[in-house]
Amino acid sequence: MPTNQQASKRAVMESTTSMFQRATEKASTDSEELNPALVAAASAAASTLPNPHQAESELLRQLRKRKAMSDAQKKANAESLGVIIADMKVGKRAGRQSSSPAGQILFDDDGRGFTADKGITAELASVHRRCDPLNPLTLSTNQMPLSGFEEMIQWTKEDKLWAYPINNEAGLEEEASVPFHEHIFLEKHLEEGFPDKGPVRHFMELVVGGLSRNPYLSVQHKKEHIAWFREYFHQKEDVLKEADNFLN
Amino acid sequence: MAAPYTHVGHSVQRNGRFLLRHLQAHRTFGWTSAVRQQAAEPKKEQEIIIPKKKTWSKVAVLEALASTVNRDPTAYPYQFQDDPYLSPRNNMEFKLFSLSQESGRAAAKYFVNNHPKFFTKDFAEPHIPCLMPETVTLCLEEVSEEALKERIQLRKVTAAVDMFDQLQQTGTAVSMKTIHNLLDLICLYCDKEPFPEEEPQTEETEQKRRTGQVHRASNYLKLTWKENNNAERIFNTLPERDTRCYSALIRGMVKHGAHAKAFSLYTDLLNNRMTADVHIFNALILAAPDVREVHMEKWDLITELLKQMNEQKIRPNLQTFNNVLKALRRSGLYVRTQAVQVLNEMKAVGIAPSLASYEHILAMFYKPGSSAQNNTVMLQEVISELQGTSFTCRDPHDSMFFLTAMRICFDYKDLELGYRVHSLLEVGENWRLLGDNYHQGIYYGRFFHLLCTMEHLEEVLKWYRLLVPSRYYLNHQSLRTLLQALDTESRLDLLPTIWKDMKTMALDNNSDLLDELLRLMTREEHSAEVQDSFADCVLDINKAFDSKPNLEWSTSGLTDATTLLLRASRTQKAWEMLQLFKSKNRVPCEVLLNSFLTACHAEANKQRAVELVQLSAAFYLPSTARLAQRVQAEFDLTEEQRDLLSELGTSGEPETDVRESSPL
Repeated sequence: MPTNQQASKRAVMESTTSMFQRATEKASTDSEELNPALVAAASAAASTLPNPHQAESELLRQLRKRKAMSDAQKKANAESLGVIIADMKVGKRAGRQSSSPAGQILFDDDGRGFTADKGITAELASVHRRCDPLNPLTLSTNQMPLSGFEEMIQWTKEDKLWAYPINNEAGLEEEASVPFHEHIFLEKHLEEGFPDKGPVRHFMELVVGGLSRNPYLSVQHKKEHIAWFREYFHQKEDVLKEADNFLN
Repeated sequence: MAAPYTHVGHSVQRNGRFLLRHLQAHRTFGWTSAVRQQAAEPKKEQEIIIPKKKTWSKVAVLEALASTVNRDPTAYPYQFQDDPYLSPRNNMEFKLFSLSQESGRAAAKYFVNNHPKFFTKDFAEPHIPCLMPETVTLCLEEVSEEALKERIQLRKVTAAVDMFDQLQQTGTAVSMKTIHNLLDLICLYCDKEPFPEEEPQTEETEQKRRTGQVHRASNYLKLTWKENNNAERIFNTLPERDTRCYSALIRGMVKHGAHAKAFSLYTDLLNNRMTADVHIFNALILAAPDVREVHMEKWDLITELLKQMNEQKIRPNLQTFNNVLKALRRSGLYVRTQAVQVLNEMKAVGIAPSLASYEHILAMFYKPGSSAQNNTVMLQEVISELQGTSFTCRDPHDSMFFLTAMRICFDYKDLELGYRVHSLLEVGENWRLLGDNYHQGIYYGRFFHLLCTMEHLEEVLKWYRLLVPSRYYLNHQSLRTLLQALDTESRLDLLPTIWKDMKTMALDNNSDLLDELLRLMTREEHSAEVQDSFADCVLDINKAFDSKPNLEWSTSGLTDATTLLLRASRTQKAWEMLQLFKSKNRVPCEVLLNSFLTACHAEANKQRAVELVQLSAAFYLPSTARLAQRVQAEFDLTEEQRDLLSELGTSGEPETDVRESSPL
């Protein structure tokens, strides 16, 4: 962020409010997509550090990353498909993925061949038995669909198509079991690891406020987000203490 | 989604009794039939339990919709309903197009799996595992059981064996389950790679390709069990072998032809005082006919195996009995009488016979070509027993049942039974048991033949419209049968429609068929419109002959064509056709020329008559003189024409000429 570097070079250690103002206008020019209050707070917190531009850039990068994820999910358009970045899988789906391809080779009933058991549940096994091209029973029967409806039935059984009548929350059963207050009331995570007062606390409260309004991340993600910040500020603790003494 | 339905359920339950009371009181007809049916239940039920909620399966809505769609006899199969140009018109096109569709899918899958770096973004929520790239390459390289499991799962035989050997060398213990899977893998694929990788283009491969595809031919040869291959070697190195290991080996040996070894391994198992399992016995029963020469001994061996199975308290399954029947098929006549007993045994054990069992029995008793049975009583009993049942495929051999049944019906010319077999096929999803398009074609071909030979023409045509071309593509043989049927019933006026179908199905590339068609059309005189339609047909056929270079006119074909055109009074066209004789080196017969002359006389075309005689003279036909006389007698000719004719008449002496064709 070149403009930031230039600004920091010209910046003089003045009172907090003027720093705050300058940081605000500089930051807002090149990061307009982030919430300006959040950005301002980030800059304020960062400017207490000796290397403000780097700290600010790190903080902003982290914020931006999470915002990009939320934005990506928000951009669910007319096809009603959400956009999830590859590493943001819900734990259940990762579990399903690992169980399906890595199956064991079992004996087939008719003693003629072997089918890879592609699923743990019996239903999955029967579905994949039907779609499995290596199964001699499937090979000797005609599996072609007679109409578009039958094709859609096959796709539904292969999990390629939504099941009718459409349930918007299909596949999100895990999320349905998480109570709402765990999403919203996140201040309890701020009780330990963060100072009680000061710009850092202020910043974190804004972070928590933003997270509580974010419907796209799971509770686990939000906790990880806060933990990241906890770790970060813990590492920079000595730097922060120095700056505090200097200010006061 | 549960919320709205529970609400309805609640309201119905609340109002249920209320409704019932009203129903009993008023007996109006305003209620739906469902309520009425529920209320009409026997009076001893005071309450009707209406469920609070009904759960439907994932595909219930789609299944209900699919049940509204019947098979359309005028439409192409669903997978081709995209581009009219790419709708298959005959068997060859069907195979080509469906193979190309599959190869497209395979190519896409190949690309996705081999270049996963292009497919990292996952847009779908919830996640669709089968659309994401599968791992086809090995990730784990270190020597560990996990790597071995991965190789087994990816079905890489040589890599798995190597990894196992490395594990043995390092002394790592491998779990029994993994060993079982490894042995299964090797025995299934007979120690060869199931999906050989494409070799990178190097000089050696180029040379190999030039010297002939030797290394590729080996892929198509039947796999044979080699002596001391990896499976046996690993098996022998195992410190403890349990039933499952023996089972894998025995099944692999039987599958790949090492029958004697399978039996010796089985005796080994018995010597170690272990019990076998049902799969071992199934495999051994299948292999029994190959290790004994005499039929009786085969049967003795099978009974011996079954007795041992009983002793070891192993329950037989469907495959056991089907294998017994299959083995019996290869045995002599006496042992076949045991086959029916096998069915009784199945019923005693409680296993329902599958279609494959019936097929084995029918094939045993109705051998093609022989007339051992003189009626179809057995098949009738089988069909009566199976009537109305909906089948699922329980044995890969099930698909042969309908083919064998229809073959028997055709051999014995039993139309009624053929209809019954076909109605059994139409029940539910049984038609899927016919298998792929090839077997389907055989079945419908036999059915169609049976109809053509035994049934009235109206029925035949009804079935023709039903089956062709949505389910069955005619071939030359069946077309000939159809033409014969038309001939027998003297409905030759339908020939032009058949010709149109022939063109669509690309059956107009056989000159014999076209000659047959022309001959049938020429056989009798018909009414004027029919003759007209025949003439159009002939012109069409002419175009076909012109456009296809490998089709050759024959003399009879040309004669018939010309005659037909004459009968429809298209003399000009007939004249052009007559010129074709010369160009195709065929000689017209006298009958044709005479009839042409008659036509010319009817039109009072003197010039043509003279030209006709000239033509005849050009062929050095002996009939030239007679023709000349006729022309002179019947026509009113000018002087020069008379001179010409007299010249031709005298010069056309009856001399034997090489070019004169034999009487047609």
